[in-house]
Amino acid sequence: MDMTYLLLAISMLFALVATYSAIVERYLVKAVVFSALQSIAFTLALYLLRAPDIVLVYLPITVGIYPAAILFLIKKSEEVEEL
Amino acid sequence: MKKELLIAMSMVITVVVMAYIATLGGGLGPLFSDVRPLAKAFLSTTLDPEKPLFTAMSPEAVTAIVWDYRGLDTLFETAVFYLAIIGAIAIYRDVNEKVGLKGSGLGLSKIVRVVTKVLIPINIAIAISIALHGHLTPGGGFQAGAAMAVMPMLLIVVFSRYFLLELKLTKGLALAFRSIGLTGIALTVFLPIIIALVNGVNAYIMQNQMKVNAPVGLPAFIGNSLISGSLILYNVFEFLAVTFGFSVLFLLLSIEEDIVKDQMRGEVSEH
Repeated sequence: MDMTYLLLAISMLFALVATYSAIVERYLVKAVVFSALQSIAFTLALYLLRAPDIVLVYLPITVGIYPAAILFLIKKSEEVEEL
Repeated sequence: MKKELLIAMSMVITVVVMAYIATLGGGLGPLFSDVRPLAKAFLSTTLDPEKPLFTAMSPEAVTAIVWDYRGLDTLFETAVFYLAIIGAIAIYRDVNEKVGLKGSGLGLSKIVRVVTKVLIPINIAIAISIALHGHLTPGGGFQAGAAMAVMPMLLIVVFSRYFLLELKLTKGLALAFRSIGLTGIALTVFLPIIIALVNGVNAYIMQNQMKVNAPVGLPAFIGNSLISGSLILYNVFEFLAVTFGFSVLFLLLSIEEDIVKDQMRGEVSEH
């Protein structure tokens, strides 16, 4: 039980760092990669919270399909965020 | 620098506040220990042949809830998803995907291609297994479709869009399979009504097992295999529809922006 909480805390902290990196990153392709890393951490957290149905749909959507759609959009627009 | 600090501070404050709220009233404890009354009601009826009026005849409570206990919600969620896809198809309606058809020389290196070729059968097997076991183990139609939709995306990135066109997976074919899936879902929705009309009794739409005053029940077993009545049908058809719905989107999104713009400009100058 304690191991579950520990892994949950580690994965969510990793997700926090990845989210922060995705927000401040100006190169959008890198930002998408950080976003996918955050999703992997969330997938582990969802598994630890005993939601295997959500894990099965969350993993392909947020690590495969969503980054792909965003990458297509980046290719069609601009690669560096202008401030 | 000041801006980054601001972002980091606001994120930390949000996380701390959310964590504090989650610990109020026992916090995460109940999530791990007690089963809530509503969950108990579903868990006690989801696979119980002795309660024929309430059971969904599926050990997988989530799929039973998604396609049986609250089936109409799922039906309308599915409708929203396909309306979004129809929107994308409408925007690209006059773009010819076959313009600029090129043969070899596109895509990533040989190493990536070989690894992808190894991954593809694994991916297909996993997706089909998630779909066909959706009423027995965690998973279901949408999960399986999402897992399968990664495959056309991988093929487009690794081998290029023209590789899929050479495999005859065009927009038209993907649309046709998506439509077969959606028609299957619609037929399954009205299947109890059709059976009831033939037998001269009452039935509800999306009915799975028999209910009060509606004695139509789809078979829960084929031989000794549990198929949970309508659940396996919904899972298989949703799997088809989601897989090819996403495939259409990727086929359209991967058309080079220059080709799209040229063709759309051509359309404007003609009228």
